[in-house]
Amino acid sequence: MLRDIGNWMDERFGWRGVWDTIFKRKIPHVNWFYTLGSATLFVAVNQAITGILLTLYYVPTPDHAYDSVVYITTQLPAGWLIRGLHHWGASAMVILTVAHLLRVFFYGAYKYPREVTWMTGMVLLLVVIGFGFTGYLLPWDQKAYWATTVGTRIAGVAPFVGSWVLSIARGGQELSAVTLARFFGTHVWVLPTLFLLSVSLHLFLVIRIGISAVPEKGE
Amino acid sequence: MPEEPKEAGEKVSRGNFMKMTIAGIGGLIGLAYTIPSIAYVLGPALQKATSEWIPLGSVGKVETGVPTLFKTTIQTQTGWISNEEEFSAYVLTEDGQTYIVMSNVCTHLGCRVRWIEEKGNFYCPCHNGVFSKNGAVVSGPPPRPLDRYESKVENDILYVKRG
Repeated sequence: MLRDIGNWMDERFGWRGVWDTIFKRKIPHVNWFYTLGSATLFVAVNQAITGILLTLYYVPTPDHAYDSVVYITTQLPAGWLIRGLHHWGASAMVILTVAHLLRVFFYGAYKYPREVTWMTGMVLLLVVIGFGFTGYLLPWDQKAYWATTVGTRIAGVAPFVGSWVLSIARGGQELSAVTLARFFGTHVWVLPTLFLLSVSLHLFLVIRIGISAVPEKGE
Repeated sequence: MPEEPKEAGEKVSRGNFMKMTIAGIGGLIGLAYTIPSIAYVLGPALQKATSEWIPLGSVGKVETGVPTLFKTTIQTQTGWISNEEEFSAYVLTEDGQTYIVMSNVCTHLGCRVRWIEEKGNFYCPCHNGVFSKNGAVVSGPPPRPLDRYESKVENDILYVKRG
């Protein structure tokens, strides 16, 4: 039955070819460090699922943000789990992204012909850091408030453009409802869009070019 | 796809073993996400309404044979928001002993009904629903009489059970 449906669709749009290209591609003999990219992708999917679930209850305004987060954590069934997965997943995301980057760097896997994959990876690194920075403010507790105060102030000391960057990030001179709203919008709309575009290109290139082998001594 | 060759003594080929392992672990991870997610989404909908006795006011206020509107403020908790809400109900007694407490919410589509003394009926402003003194439907679209609350009198204070 399932096989028949599979055949029916394969005859029409040849999905098995696509499947084989993605999951049955040839790879060189590699080691466990080569799983760091997949691990990052797995956590990214975790962030997407738990993040979507959190938006069902979270409200990004100063008078509701903290209370809605407390409600999620203490009142909802499995709310602590969903938020916990998103919270710890965020840290895991940064750690795994950097670990993946280091693997690619030390194995020289960024070299010809994989420069563009590396560049999209750099965009993804910035997006991940952006996720971390904007997401940190959303619980609107003391730690969030002061961390963002400090974080935006750091941007403010950049020469020439600093005060501009600071007021654009905060949406004014002070940290306010405007800041919370724009951090939320960036966190759930702008960055996910950028992430999806970059990660699609990144994965396309990984599959299209194939992955590099572990370099030999003297290579 | 051609089956992979099995080595002597193997019941399952390496490829199939991998497939089964991936499907098994993947399935477990899938369940670990799906089950909590469903509970999380449905949680507030499945919460049982808590019932409580709320004091409406002194029974002395009720005129015999005339529905009297009682209003009181109650504390409500919806999600993470605590609110004060107005609660109102009509109280009717024919003998000064037993009390009928009726909801003032029209059973048609939820507008508030009003007692018109001159006509001796409850009228709903939305779709001309008319209820008699004891809440029975007189005319109009309402499908059933006005809802009644369980009530009790303690120390001359009338209580109703809400929820």
